[in-house]
Amino acid sequence: MIRLQEVSKVYDGGVVAVQKVNLDIRKGEFVFLVGPSGSGKSTLIRMCLREERVTRGTIWVAGKDITRLPTWRVPYLRRTVGTIFQDFKLLPNKTVAENVSFALKVTGCPRSIIRRQVNTVLELVGLSAKADRYPRQLSGGEQQRVTIARAFVNRPPILLADEPTGNLDPATSVGIMRLLDRINRTGTTVMMATHDFAIVDAMRRRVVQLDRGRVIRDESASGYEAPSKS
Amino acid sequence: MSTLLFLTGEAFVNLRRNALVATGAVLAVFVSLALAFGALVFNELVRINTLQWQRGDHIIVFLKDEGGPVAHDQLLQEINEYPEVENAWYLDKAGAYQEFSEMYSDQPALAATVTAADLPASIRVELKDISEYQAVQFRLVGHPLLRRLSVFSEGIERLLSLTGVLNSIGLGLVVVLGASAVVLIANTIRMAIYARREEIAIMKLVGAGNWFIRVPFIIEGATVGLLGAGLAAAAVFVSHGLLERIPTDILIRFQVDQSFLTSRTILILGFGVLAGFIGSSFGLRRFLRV
Repeated sequence: MIRLQEVSKVYDGGVVAVQKVNLDIRKGEFVFLVGPSGSGKSTLIRMCLREERVTRGTIWVAGKDITRLPTWRVPYLRRTVGTIFQDFKLLPNKTVAENVSFALKVTGCPRSIIRRQVNTVLELVGLSAKADRYPRQLSGGEQQRVTIARAFVNRPPILLADEPTGNLDPATSVGIMRLLDRINRTGTTVMMATHDFAIVDAMRRRVVQLDRGRVIRDESASGYEAPSKS
Repeated sequence: MSTLLFLTGEAFVNLRRNALVATGAVLAVFVSLALAFGALVFNELVRINTLQWQRGDHIIVFLKDEGGPVAHDQLLQEINEYPEVENAWYLDKAGAYQEFSEMYSDQPALAATVTAADLPASIRVELKDISEYQAVQFRLVGHPLLRRLSVFSEGIERLLSLTGVLNSIGLGLVVVLGASAVVLIANTIRMAIYARREEIAIMKLVGAGNWFIRVPFIIEGATVGLLGAGLAAAAVFVSHGLLERIPTDILIRFQVDQSFLTSRTILILGFGVLAGFIGSSFGLRRFLRV
């Protein structure tokens, strides 16, 4: 579903963010990207969204080589990839329902379908009662649920999450992870960058560890730290 | 269709949120386009009032009816032989009536009171050198066919060249003020986009195409341009209404045709919308790079 081949990213000034990363994420997998700040987790996610261009290498997302994707096709790529961020990135002047429906409106989806889909997804994230509230009227956990609803409303095959629990307390984080797990069980591929070792250890999913832009560990059903070799 | 309605709604929500800046832009566009429209009207007034002179009618020899076309033609040949004359031509009564009708096309009541028979035939004289008008005048005074002699002296020639300059200045003003309207709208849209740059980034993240983001801003710019142009047109109509109160003089007219005003109003409104479209497109360019 997501494949990175010899991917490197060097920013202006020679700062190397990602070095020769090879990664293959299959359909329906749940993958944690872990590593310290500056290890290249966010850059990797941004490259999968074509927010950043690769310096070298190739990335395939949902079967398409996005490194050669013409600019006008980028919005179509982003409609097949749901995104969740630490800082929520909600439109402040739109209600919960409007924020969620916006992801469908950009695709030109008919109004009747939008209404149905939005109601369903808000029920999934437990925010049906707060559909008419504005983001500022919600708690951090609720705002992140809105982001998840927006990311999932058009049923994308891939969900990318960059530190989705970074601004949340542990109890709320557990709720968010349960939600992501539920979405993953519907067949959606999830790639999540995180610092939160408790969550990674509890979920026991595939873990890809990055350090200074390189993959130093890639293990299935693993925890935040590499198991000590005895 | 529902997408277009949604985007139009977004544009008006944006205008409401951005009301102060938008009002400033509307007023600035209004001032620019009112001056530009005013310059167009001024140019038209200059054109109307100097129509005869521009054709080179330096001397008009109004003729008595006696003798008829044969005698008139004889005098025309005679005038054409004067060494000071570059060219002379005959305008019969029907031609005089046509000219009169054209000059007063916006005043049908006045045109209705006059017939071709009321107007004298004339010989129009273009001089090689305008300063020689007195020599021709001297030759013609006392001629039995002469009803009246109209001479446009050197002063008028100077005025003509001055109106040429005024015309150029007017057209220059139209261009500069039109361009400034575009720049003002571009700046307003850029400010609006800057204020909402985070929203635009979010829109892009969820897969909004450039046109989806662009259209509300273009509608916003076009609305600003249209409102500014509408106010400008209204101001010119009001000013022209005041000018119309000045009585029509045989020498100077302060009124332009209604059809001229209508066509230029459509032009100005169209330009307002176009300026909004171009201005907002310029304003958006930098912010829509993926």
